[in-house]
Amino acid sequence: MVSPAIALAFLPLLLTLIIRYRYFFVLLYRAVLIRWVRDCLTGLSREERAFQYILTHATPGDVQSILDTFDHWCSKVEFISNIGPKKGHKHTHTLTHLSSSCEHCPITVLELGTHCGYSTVRIARSLPIGARIYSVEMDEGNARVAEKIIRLAGFDEDMVELIVRPSDEVIPRLREDFGVERLDLVFMDHWKRCYLPDLQLLEGSGLLGEGSIILADNVIFPGAPNFLRHARSSGLYEVRVHRATLEYIRGIRDGMAELTFLGIK
Amino acid sequence: VSRRRASEKRSTEMGNKRAEKKHDKHHKTTRKEGEKDRKRPRRRNADEEEAEEESSKEKKNIKNERTKTVKLEDEKEKDVKKKRKNSESESHSESNSDAESKDNQAVGVLGSLTPEELEQLKEAVDERKKLITTLKGKPWPMKKKLVILRESQEFVEKYEGALGKGKGRKLYAYKVLMMKKWMKFQRDLENFKTACIPWEMKIKEIESHFGSSVASYFIFLRWMYGINMILFGLTFGLVMVPEALMGKPYGSMPRKTVPRVEEASAMNFAVLWDFGGYAKYSVLFYGYYNNQRAIGWLKFRMPLSYFLVGVGTVAYSYMVVIRTMARNANEEGGGDDTSFNFSWKTFTSWDYLIGNPETADNKFASITTSFKEAIVEEQESRKDDNIHLTRFLRVLANFLVLCCLAGSGYLIYFVVRRSQKFALEGLENYGWWERNEVNMVMSLLGMFCPMLFDVISTLENYHPRIALQWQLGRIFALFLGNLYTFIIALMDAIQLKRAEEEIVKKNMTIWQANLYNGTVPDNSTALPITVHPADVPRGPCWETMVGQEFVRLIISDTMTTYITLLIGDFLRAVLVRFLNNCWCWDLEYGFPSYSEFDVSGNVLGLIFNQGMIWMGAFYAPCLPALNLLRLHVSMYLQCWAVMCCNVPQERVFKASGSSNFYMAMLLVILFLSTLPAIYTIVSIPPSFDCGPFSGKNRMFDVIQETLETDFPAWFSKVFSYASNPGLVLSFLLLLVLAIYYLQSTSKTYKRVNMELKKKLQTQNEENKRKNKLAALKAANELEQAKKAGEQCSNSASDLGESTQNVSQLP
Repeated sequence: MVSPAIALAFLPLLLTLIIRYRYFFVLLYRAVLIRWVRDCLTGLSREERAFQYILTHATPGDVQSILDTFDHWCSKVEFISNIGPKKGHKHTHTLTHLSSSCEHCPITVLELGTHCGYSTVRIARSLPIGARIYSVEMDEGNARVAEKIIRLAGFDEDMVELIVRPSDEVIPRLREDFGVERLDLVFMDHWKRCYLPDLQLLEGSGLLGEGSIILADNVIFPGAPNFLRHARSSGLYEVRVHRATLEYIRGIRDGMAELTFLGIK
Repeated sequence: VSRRRASEKRSTEMGNKRAEKKHDKHHKTTRKEGEKDRKRPRRRNADEEEAEEESSKEKKNIKNERTKTVKLEDEKEKDVKKKRKNSESESHSESNSDAESKDNQAVGVLGSLTPEELEQLKEAVDERKKLITTLKGKPWPMKKKLVILRESQEFVEKYEGALGKGKGRKLYAYKVLMMKKWMKFQRDLENFKTACIPWEMKIKEIESHFGSSVASYFIFLRWMYGINMILFGLTFGLVMVPEALMGKPYGSMPRKTVPRVEEASAMNFAVLWDFGGYAKYSVLFYGYYNNQRAIGWLKFRMPLSYFLVGVGTVAYSYMVVIRTMARNANEEGGGDDTSFNFSWKTFTSWDYLIGNPETADNKFASITTSFKEAIVEEQESRKDDNIHLTRFLRVLANFLVLCCLAGSGYLIYFVVRRSQKFALEGLENYGWWERNEVNMVMSLLGMFCPMLFDVISTLENYHPRIALQWQLGRIFALFLGNLYTFIIALMDAIQLKRAEEEIVKKNMTIWQANLYNGTVPDNSTALPITVHPADVPRGPCWETMVGQEFVRLIISDTMTTYITLLIGDFLRAVLVRFLNNCWCWDLEYGFPSYSEFDVSGNVLGLIFNQGMIWMGAFYAPCLPALNLLRLHVSMYLQCWAVMCCNVPQERVFKASGSSNFYMAMLLVILFLSTLPAIYTIVSIPPSFDCGPFSGKNRMFDVIQETLETDFPAWFSKVFSYASNPGLVLSFLLLLVLAIYYLQSTSKTYKRVNMELKKKLQTQNEENKRKNKLAALKAANELEQAKKAGEQCSNSASDLGESTQNVSQLP
């Protein structure tokens, strides 16, 4: 039998691990444990709970109020991995830059991974008139919630088109089914594993033009190393990684990659 | 500076002359060109080597380079002037060339030159040589430098051998040849010396990737290895080998034989790490040695040698550590050299003679790291935060660390007490866990507590270098506590063994009496009975026990280090690297990531390891050998591990390799580890039946014995007079006074140095100010002159116009 003294000697190790990785434990607690308990208690999914909260707390039609309520719910009540206000600001900045650089042309945005529609609302808010967002979501439940939230924020089907299909099916058919000629901005926030194949599909489809921007969230944590490696080594993009922390949780480093398509020469 | 300027001027003047002369000789050289062409490629190689050597010399006095960069502008001006002069001289020589060519035809070969011309030629050659040495400091583009270097070296090659006359000329040529050979030999020797520094390339490679703080650990490790080499040489050459060769062989005496009880397990595999069985009864431990005064045909004084080697190793270590400290203190030299840090780094970092792309990469990496270090330092020095919060956090952190230390101390105390209880009840009744509890707990605490300290120290927000020192101090306290708890436990064990020894001594007489009574008739004059030495009862021999404990501790410590390395670094790196392809988050950047090299932990591990060696080496002569082995393996293993599985620290910073901090710690540990050793030697009588001092009252009696028997009577008399307390005390007083005097003088020198430095600086600034003023004045004058000139030209143009008008008039 192991003596208690030897077991006690492991106490410093335990303490070290707990202190060093405390943010990860907090994340585990908030994202997994609380969700599980609430799921059992309410019988609703997390996204539906978020929608209920927004419905009761936010002003319909007021985009800012909806976004604020969403942020509040995510940071104080439960955790949903949205893009968050800080990285969203960066987002807005890129968009305004895009629309200012190209005054007349209609901007087309492809969003992979709508989830609850938070980022869709954020993008739609800062788009000029005549722009169009194609938002791809695989999960039907999430898509239902996202649609409600988008409508609640006051964006109609001309502006935001929700596509409920896996991204790898959608991308090759964008040109035929939806008549897209060129994508100005692609925002990736779906499964991290799908970043690389989807990027390759986009390259193959010929929808990316010179100056198209691809924003990929969470490239450091949870991380998409293959995606970054490909983007850096292919020579097709100018890659910048904006360092930040994970949304709604301090102390976990994360980054958003900004890829500018240089065009095939 | 002024001298330098003068020399520059002179050199430029000489350069001009040389240019002229070169043209003069041009015609003569063309004739010999054909012959020399064959030799040229080889010579070029030699040239390049020479150039390399020159620049390496240059590198050594980097400080000069600072002045050189300051002088950049001066030299540029001169360069321009020189070019002008050159062109002038060229045109001049061209106009003269016809006449000269006639002359040359008349002269024919070099040998028949007039003495004046020879003199000139000699001067030109000297000039070229000088140019080659000062080439690196010249502010010219690289291409021009290379061209000039090659040209002037060819020139020197050609004419150097041809100088002198008749017989003297041959001698001169021979001399030059020999000089060249000698230079080449010296260069090769220098290269060889650098190649002989062990692990230099490895350490440089690590430095280029991980910065100087990690490299400083490896340099320290290498230094330690050197010291252990000497210790090993002493113990191996003067104690172990003589005993093995000339001492009584194994099995001749009870102390040199495995006792009957242990015989069954003496060859077990566990002997390899337990050092029981045959290993215990060998030259590796104190107990094996015999108290015979002189052994072998050499009459080697074994006990004396044993004692002197024990004292000598410690004395040598003290000497080395203190000497290194003194040398480092000299290097530090006071005053701040940090001004113009960045321009310094920008202009003087690159080594232009790197030819190997890999080395260039390394150099690039190392320069980048050094820039990062400098920038981080600058940032750290400019930051200012909420001072109260910082103070509170620092106090809190120290409180937490103290709690931690107290906890670990108590745990070890508890474990040691428990182990004593186990020992009293007999270890055979307990399992492996209970028997190795003390070692395990000590290793685990030594491994995990530093991690906790590291986490706590992020609270304090110190500059990484200061944080490293705090971390070192804390781990030092932890290790020291652990070590001294261990020693106290060992002292208790010694007391137990000594009590046992008393009993054995009594039993011994009874056993002997029984032996004689039982088997031998009273009137016997026959041979004494022979008992096999393994059957003779013997004392517990506490010295061997102490040595064995230390050996075991060293081995368990080494094992822990290596296993931690393999699991914590290597296995982790492998997992991170290969699981990353199929994991749901980025392992390399995110949660486990690769480990960083733990400088403080490794340094302290090394220092304490050395402390244990110093403590235990007297009772186990094999310890330095074991340590040497350990350090050797460590060097390779850690070099490999650091390059293979660690990532550079996030905050790279600079730690000077010759830092006295490590040395001071080593000195403290040396002192603390000699204390218990000296205590045991002085106050505990040696065992009666084992070791070189058996039968004596105290171990140091061996000195007295030697004095009485091996030296003439007058010597011992003199010695006894000299060891008179009155004499010794006054001598000590003298020593203290001398130390005080030397210290105060050195302090004064330091102060004077500092003042001199300050003076120089102020003078420099004064000069700068003056120069600025002068430049301003000159600029003003220039402005005025320009204005005046413009006015003049205006008036002139007016005049011209008027004349035009005048001319147009008619």
